[in-house]
Amino acid sequence: MIMIEIKNVTFSYRVTDTVGNPVLRTGVSGLNLTIRDGEFIVLTGSSGCGKTTVCRLINGLIPHYFDGEKSGEVLLNGRDISAQPIYETAQTVGSVFQNPRSQFFNVDTTSELAFFAENQGRAPEKIRSDIQEISDKMELSELLGRSMFKLSGGEKQKIACGTIAVADSSVIVLDEPSSNLDTNAIEDLRKVLAMWKEQGKTVVIAEHRLYFLRELADRVILFESGEIKKEIAGKEFRELSADATKELGLRTVQSHSASAFKEWKETMEYFTLTNFRFSYPDKVHGIDISSLTLPKNKIIAIVGHNGAGKSTLARTFCGLHKKAKGTVKLGDKTVPVTKMLDYCYMIMQDVNHQLFTESVQEEVLLSVSESLPETEREQIARNALEMLDIEKYAEMHPMALSGGQKQRVAIASGIAADKEFILMDEPTSGLDYVHMKQVAGVMEMLKEQGKTLLVITHDDELISCCADYILYLEKGSVKHSGPVDIRYDGV
Amino acid sequence: MQAVISFKESGGRATLDPRTSILSIFVISMVMIGGGLSGVEYWLRLFCCLIPFVFLVTVHNYQFAAIYLGLYLFSAVIEGAVIQLTSGGWNLLFVIVAGIISRFLAPMVMGYCVMQSTTVSEFVTAMERIHVPQVITIPLSVMFRFFPTISEENKAVSEAMRMRQISGKKQSLIKKMEYELVPVMMSTVRIADELSQASLTKGLGGDIKRTHICEVGLRIRDYVLMLFLLVVTVLFVVY
Repeated sequence: MIMIEIKNVTFSYRVTDTVGNPVLRTGVSGLNLTIRDGEFIVLTGSSGCGKTTVCRLINGLIPHYFDGEKSGEVLLNGRDISAQPIYETAQTVGSVFQNPRSQFFNVDTTSELAFFAENQGRAPEKIRSDIQEISDKMELSELLGRSMFKLSGGEKQKIACGTIAVADSSVIVLDEPSSNLDTNAIEDLRKVLAMWKEQGKTVVIAEHRLYFLRELADRVILFESGEIKKEIAGKEFRELSADATKELGLRTVQSHSASAFKEWKETMEYFTLTNFRFSYPDKVHGIDISSLTLPKNKIIAIVGHNGAGKSTLARTFCGLHKKAKGTVKLGDKTVPVTKMLDYCYMIMQDVNHQLFTESVQEEVLLSVSESLPETEREQIARNALEMLDIEKYAEMHPMALSGGQKQRVAIASGIAADKEFILMDEPTSGLDYVHMKQVAGVMEMLKEQGKTLLVITHDDELISCCADYILYLEKGSVKHSGPVDIRYDGV
Repeated sequence: MQAVISFKESGGRATLDPRTSILSIFVISMVMIGGGLSGVEYWLRLFCCLIPFVFLVTVHNYQFAAIYLGLYLFSAVIEGAVIQLTSGGWNLLFVIVAGIISRFLAPMVMGYCVMQSTTVSEFVTAMERIHVPQVITIPLSVMFRFFPTISEENKAVSEAMRMRQISGKKQSLIKKMEYELVPVMMSTVRIADELSQASLTKGLGGDIKRTHICEVGLRIRDYVLMLFLLVVTVLFVVY
């Protein structure tokens, strides 16, 4: 039976360009796609290729929420989605979004689980018993009755899936649900998807990361500039080699593809972290590192599961944790962590938090030391912009740029600040293969400039293509550290 | 997160029905802000300022209860004695400080208590019971759902400012405030937009009659408090 039928659909978003003029931006063009009841469809392709647009066509956000020009029709169970209000479509279609922080309406978890089913007018007793059943099946019991704001990204995403499961939607649309998740949380997500597949739900998932969908996909649809470039059958998809995915510009399908690492080149210079201690009020999380020596002028990947202390270590190292203790030995200097801000620059996971000014140029200038003469400051800023190939955006507002461009602006500010250490928090989360390679290229370039990079990451492909050294944290201590080619097993 | 006003984050059923809670905020505000310092109104105000105290004690927030009691005793001492003993500028200062505490503290604390003990869905459900339209309840509940989000964003941005060592720069205070506010606003707007999408696809705002799993209903304690509040209102209006 046919569940979803997309017939010759063209959609363009009505957006404003950087100078404020209304323009049309193509979402998809001339799209035809038929999805059968119970199929598991993976939509993939680089950013802006149209896969998110397909999700929005199915859940009714197009044309009911997003403004634009549309032709063709999308049929759900034979009914035109644009002709019925979103809440009608929501009786059948459940949606999970990319950002775990912005998709919960309630402040407590139990109400959030019930929310979707409540809106559909289900009987309260039924909802209560469904919540019990679902939380047993999805291992949510320990999350019930808690504050949404105190959950990790992975836990929030689990609740978001739980909400859909309680409402028992027969079609489930997921738009890059794994972007902000670590390996453990992705494994949880995979289990939920497997459960849905087994229950015969129709699943449509847009993703960059593919390895966890290997055994689940019935069909993989590769998009390019709003059109279907290639359709891959599930069987064929499972057997795609690392080279084949690279060729298609895709993330790897194999879970342990990372075999080729960079060769370790011995270095003369090291820095040493001594007595790094910080504990959170819950007394469970924090870091406790007595001594740790790391190489200078290398790309150091910091890995470990959520809550292992990666961010805490990075933020302590930068001197952002006011109460943290420790010292860093740099050559013949010993610097207390509270003074490390003078040596460090951090590129945050959400770069929107660290861009303040009205133009890219000003943003970079803000980082340059004010003790230098004005002409020299401008020269430094210009160099930094050129280095990251963003001088053409110098006059633009940072917020008008794309995510990747913003990240480059933040990195350029870091270069202009002339700090020895550059820390990056998940620089490639939610990036496709091509953009991931670009970020890796920028990291290599920073290394050539003499910087030391500390990179928090869950991205195995990024590690295999540029990291020199790996630091594996567990429960706040160092479980392993060393050159990346003798990589610790099972990270 | 304690200092941020938001709906209850976890735990069991609300101490009071949201309707009783809202009525009590109104009555307490009316009496505390508009009431006089003598006669019947003195006793009415005393009664009203005890309600938030009792509330704090029942939810085991003893520390806050003690601070609350301390502040009221302080303002009572000033209004009762110190004002008579001083004159001029000092007198004015004492009148203002004590006045602000005694008139505004109780309604504010009551509002805080209500928020802290009510979940979003209890609030929405109770509002539905008294036929407040969704056009009013949904924006209101989203607004309070949003305070913790703003606080999270603000924390992240101030950390970024510290990392970029903005406070050491030769920039005016206004400029620095702008640096902080703009990213916070940009990201809250983005979150709000994504939240609307998520809520719409979960069927919020449709014609279907919502059900609810939370228990909302008037219990004996609600009737007792409402009766007291009614008596207070009648006495307040009559005298």
